[in-house]
Amino acid sequence: MHISEGILSAPVLTAGYVGAGLLAAATMRGMDMEEVPKLSVITSVFFVTSLIKFPIGPSSVHLILNGLAGVVLGWRAFPAILLGVILQAIIFGHGGVTVIGVNSVMLGGGALVAYGVWQLRHYFSFARKEFAFGALAGGIATISSGLVLSAALLTTGEAFFAVAGAVLAAHIPIMIVEGFVVGACAEFLNRVKPDILAGQKRAKPQVTAT
Amino acid sequence: MALDIDRYASVASPIQRWDPRVKTAALGVLIVTIALLKTIPMAAAALVIGAAIVLISALPLHFVSHGLSFILVFLVPFFLILPFSYPGQAAFHVLGLPFAWEGLRLAALIFMKALAIVLITFSAFGSSRFDVSMLALQRLKCPKVIVQMLLFTYRYTFVFLDEMRRMYTAMRARGFIERTDRRTLRVLGHFVGTLLVHSFERTERVYKAMLSKGYQGELHSMVEFQSNGVDFIKAAVVLALVVALLIGDVGGRFAPAAQAWY
Repeated sequence: MHISEGILSAPVLTAGYVGAGLLAAATMRGMDMEEVPKLSVITSVFFVTSLIKFPIGPSSVHLILNGLAGVVLGWRAFPAILLGVILQAIIFGHGGVTVIGVNSVMLGGGALVAYGVWQLRHYFSFARKEFAFGALAGGIATISSGLVLSAALLTTGEAFFAVAGAVLAAHIPIMIVEGFVVGACAEFLNRVKPDILAGQKRAKPQVTAT
Repeated sequence: MALDIDRYASVASPIQRWDPRVKTAALGVLIVTIALLKTIPMAAAALVIGAAIVLISALPLHFVSHGLSFILVFLVPFFLILPFSYPGQAAFHVLGLPFAWEGLRLAALIFMKALAIVLITFSAFGSSRFDVSMLALQRLKCPKVIVQMLLFTYRYTFVFLDEMRRMYTAMRARGFIERTDRRTLRVLGHFVGTLLVHSFERTERVYKAMLSKGYQGELHSMVEFQSNGVDFIKAAVVLALVVALLIGDVGGRFAPAAQAWY
């Protein structure tokens, strides 16, 4: 969920931009000429998948998949999400141009948290662990983003406490949906093309006897 | 979904003829000012300004109204929650919940500001070709890497939108119906996974194609910007509006009424 224009105060907006700038600089370190078009193509996939809707009763919810961005792109998930947020503000009017900083920190931060959760899978070994950790990553990404969004609303004043609570509650069903989708996707990718997933360990080369 | 924001970029209008660099800078300042307004009359004035800019830009109204759909849906809950959650004295009670006019005022304030900003954003980016807008941002000191990636991402969005539509049609042809169940979630997960696999294979081909065409990390554009006096006159008009909004918001006769409707 993106926050829209006109709600947050100037200090919060500025803090958003500063945070986004710092995170972007940190996560884009060492990006070379080859990675620029490649990351852009992946970003456009995530941008397009945000149009997919999952029906819930009479209405539907759009997939966010920032958790999946963390699982697939690792640190580079942040610039990918930053680009997505900028494009959504410009093209769709989702969120807005003044809140690009806050929205990026919110969604991109969630993606980075998801990456961290995803990397924990190396400490475990059980069947379908990719699904489990993918689902955890997806769900935790959503709730992290929800917490940042609620915190931003809280800074605006006491009048927004109820709205912040409602927003957080609304993230619970989204968390379940995202968890399942990211888990299924991670499992699928692990079967079909495991190199795509972030943090995959390379197989050790076999030592052949001479 | 109107993904191509610049579909009507060739529609002639004073906004369309405005040098994109000056336009983006001036309207950017206007947008930031509007985002920080605190009084209802100035927010209403901002909304009028936004509507005026949209009308001057001669963009088709159905195109603009489609872009407003998100903001309208997103802000409805604010109208429902804020009047009842506003701290302090309640004017009266509705179904046992305290209703405060100040909450309604706050919701209206946010609504008008958000709507004004989205109208202006749409006018700004809908009146130039996307790559021209991006180049304008780069000339205004936006980081080159970000601009380059925005251009690539925008371009490939259409490719993947097509692919997504084809895949979805194929799914429907095989009898897939979206329901609120776990099977749908799993299918959607695999759907996204397939898109990602295709895209990763594509990135290799894209990069090699670019290398073979001489890509060395720089995007060369044939776009040339030319500004003249009229561009700066338009900017001056916008900046005058900015100053008027600020004065009306912070000082002047609206200031004592910062918590009221007038």
